[in-house]
Amino acid sequence: MNNKIVFFICFLAGLHTHAQNDSIVNSLDEVTIVADKNLKDNSVGYKIVSINDSIILQNKVSFTSLLRHNTSIYLREYGSGGTSSARFRGTSSSNTAVVWNGININSINNGSTGFNSLSVNLIDNIDVRSGGGSIKYGSGAIGGSIHLNSRLSFKNHISNQFVSSIGSYQTYQNLYKFSYGTDRFVIKVGGELNQSANDYPWLGTVYKNENGSYKNYNININVGLKLSEKSKLSLYLTKYQSKRHFSGELPNPLSANEKYKDFNQRILLVYDFVNNSFSHVFKAGYLTQEYRYFEDKESTIYNYGKSETYLGNYDFYWRLNSHTKIELFSEYTSIFGSTDQFSIHNRKQFSQAAIFKQNFSELLSYNLKVRKDFNSDYEIPMVVAIGLEAPVYNNLKIRFNGSTNYRVPSYNDLYWPGQGNLNLNPETSKQIDAAIVFKRKKSKVEVDFFLIHTKDKITWIPNGDPERPGIWVPININSVKNKGVDVSGSHVYSYSGNVFNVSANYSYVLATDLKTNKQLIFTPKHLFNATFSWSVKRWKSYYQFLYTGKIYTSEDNLDIFSMSSFDVSNIGMDYKIINTENSQLALGVKINNLYNEMYQTSPRRPMPNRNLNLQINYKF
Amino acid sequence: MKINKFTSLTIALSILFISCDNEEIIESGSDYSNGILVSGEGSGAGTGSISFIPQDVSSSTHLIYKAENDTELGTYLQSIAFSDTNAYISVDNQNTITVVDRITFEEVGKINSQLELPRYMEIIGGTGYSTNWGSTASDTDDFIAVIDLNSNSVTKTIPVALGPERIVSKDGKLYVSHKGAHGVNNVVSVIDIATDAVTEIIVGDKPDELVFTQSGDLIVLSEGAVQYDMNWNVIGNTLASISKIDTNTNTVTSTITFANGEHPSLLEIDGTDLYYSLNSGVFKMSVTDTELPTSSFIEAGYINEMSISNNQLYAIVASYTSLSDFNVYSLSNKKMITTLKVGIGASKIYFNE
Repeated sequence: MNNKIVFFICFLAGLHTHAQNDSIVNSLDEVTIVADKNLKDNSVGYKIVSINDSIILQNKVSFTSLLRHNTSIYLREYGSGGTSSARFRGTSSSNTAVVWNGININSINNGSTGFNSLSVNLIDNIDVRSGGGSIKYGSGAIGGSIHLNSRLSFKNHISNQFVSSIGSYQTYQNLYKFSYGTDRFVIKVGGELNQSANDYPWLGTVYKNENGSYKNYNININVGLKLSEKSKLSLYLTKYQSKRHFSGELPNPLSANEKYKDFNQRILLVYDFVNNSFSHVFKAGYLTQEYRYFEDKESTIYNYGKSETYLGNYDFYWRLNSHTKIELFSEYTSIFGSTDQFSIHNRKQFSQAAIFKQNFSELLSYNLKVRKDFNSDYEIPMVVAIGLEAPVYNNLKIRFNGSTNYRVPSYNDLYWPGQGNLNLNPETSKQIDAAIVFKRKKSKVEVDFFLIHTKDKITWIPNGDPERPGIWVPININSVKNKGVDVSGSHVYSYSGNVFNVSANYSYVLATDLKTNKQLIFTPKHLFNATFSWSVKRWKSYYQFLYTGKIYTSEDNLDIFSMSSFDVSNIGMDYKIINTENSQLALGVKINNLYNEMYQTSPRRPMPNRNLNLQINYKF
Repeated sequence: MKINKFTSLTIALSILFISCDNEEIIESGSDYSNGILVSGEGSGAGTGSISFIPQDVSSSTHLIYKAENDTELGTYLQSIAFSDTNAYISVDNQNTITVVDRITFEEVGKINSQLELPRYMEIIGGTGYSTNWGSTASDTDDFIAVIDLNSNSVTKTIPVALGPERIVSKDGKLYVSHKGAHGVNNVVSVIDIATDAVTEIIVGDKPDELVFTQSGDLIVLSEGAVQYDMNWNVIGNTLASISKIDTNTNTVTSTITFANGEHPSLLEIDGTDLYYSLNSGVFKMSVTDTELPTSSFIEAGYINEMSISNNQLYAIVASYTSLSDFNVYSLSNKKMITTLKVGIGASKIYFNE
């Protein structure tokens, strides 16, 4: 341990760095269009942490590691690169909505998103919004929502970016982004290819991460067209394919033999018309998802799940006066989902939402929202939400939001052969969040207190149905209460050419099953992460720290079935060889798991030991 | 302690980090003979494990293998076989049979090559016979691994029909029930140990437990299968049955069938009494009965395993998300005497004399 301290001090004492511009940003004002343009406007009273593209590229190994180091979301990963699921404020994996350009992309089959089943390296910006969001983002937005946003700028430009990295265990990541624009037209094209043997040694054992290799590619094409000063048309297209092997677990990782493939495509067309007091946004989307699971990687036999989603929605904004707006939101979705275990089921839903917003900037701003869904499978309760913000004193303001939310049963819950339950009700939640925000030019601290009460949790249990003895069946059984505190802060300090930046997130979550009064499994009470950076001239160095508290894996919260807390640190340094207005070339080096900690996020599946990554990033 | 490397963090936050681990002190160096061993399959909630219960059924100790060896067995622990000195623990997803001293439970070896989803093992002299499903993607690669227990290595494999499960032996022959792995099968294989010749006896669908009667007959409980259409709607059931096999002729001499839709499981023999489980009841009959009992003997709930000893019924109600219940009933007054906790997904009971 002592040599760790020495190392850290030497590191701080011996380096020079450069201007820090990838802190967590809270606004980005450009002549841009985004598909989900009122996200911020509709999030009055909510906490949003934005992650910009330079942070994304600093953590580009996986979406999982990006979120782990920059948000207070707990991610459970079945070995590095394996299945990965999120617990946002202690809620279950299907209670975090992933929203791509305003469209909820959680799987219809299992209700959640696999955080190693998509890449975000070509995404321009990610907003992580804490708290309920079913009003705008539908099913599953209970713990929070993660928004993947593309931005299109109408300005004369042509730019290229090429990022290539090589890391330990034959990890190669290459991406290229091209952007061309005029004041009427813009096109952005991005492509990416990632692969890794991922066969890191398992600390404390004689084994390697056998059968953990992966390879994926991703293409993004975004086009914007200004039809007139008032109307714009934009197209968002993305395609992702991946092949992963699933590594094994102790004591015999050599038995691992599974393979998993993902095929995802999304197309979204947006028409946006704005005049002085009205605006209309029409969207049409087509999304497909497919996975193939090979229990035996050598075999051609696989299990699959796939879905096709057609959606259309319409947003109408009406500015009644300078401080009052009304938004009406209508959406129709039709989803066809199937797996090898059940044939195609079609679910249709029509949703209507209304949002009333007032903004008296010196005094108060607030939103009132209501939404009703008409679903072909269920009765979904009407949901309501309120959000408000008010300045209190100098740099202090208070935020508050309250909402009701839901999660509809997934196709697996309903239709799994012999086990599905057609009589399930949607999970529903009620929640409140109150926060104090301190914000100055160079500092920000937000402290949120939250309470989430979820009823009718869908849980798979044996003998859930007396008619089917001995069979695991999903039923609406548990009630769960999550309460806790989220703290986020950032600060920038400059001193004679040196820029120091620190940002940190801490969360304390008590997620209690109200029947057993025990903490939910795989839900750490404490989570903390922080990034320190120091920039001077062309140098920048940074240090990432992550702490995850103890986790119980069994519902009776026994120490014998728990995973101990761990902390992991990464360190990195970039140097800009070229640094002009039109061209920047940076070389970077990053050491992950600096102290070679042995840690696991899933039992008996060790995570990577100390490893190295070299990166070249060229913008021109 | 690790916080030290971040003296730059605020002290206030670091106070919150001090976790309140109550490390359980597990004694090692214990004697696990003269008691009951209960194995649990394990699940996502925790490792497969073995619990020890002393003969007076006064308490249980969990995770005895981990206590002695400081490592976990993994999932899913299917069964334990015993030689005079050792216990052989089959963990199917790990393709591993772990060998421990049956008294101290200290590991003495591992068999982890040439096994694929090992289920149950029968030991004859210095040789183990392990039923293996092979790849679940193939219905035709199932086998019996023949293991030299001196070198702990697989010396040969004997191909058998789909889904070999339980394995017992008598007079130089192995009897293997073929429940059918993830599918359905309906045979009991008879393997001549001297020649490896395999013959098959057809019984009801999904034969699982095998017991010998005092007169040397083999009794097979077939659970019967649920039938689905193309869209996995239930369209019917095949009948469950209890078959008696004459081990001299290896033919089925009698079969008692259950009502349509009834799927019994578990089979225990105690002298001339047979016990099986159906829904929430444990049923009792005589090996010579030709009719099934009409009412349950003890209502023990939906159980995952049972065993009879000392005029008591041990019945496991398994939990896969927390510790399971080990319930003890008196066979005399049919009342529950006591209950203890055993491992996650507890599924087998053994007596370590």
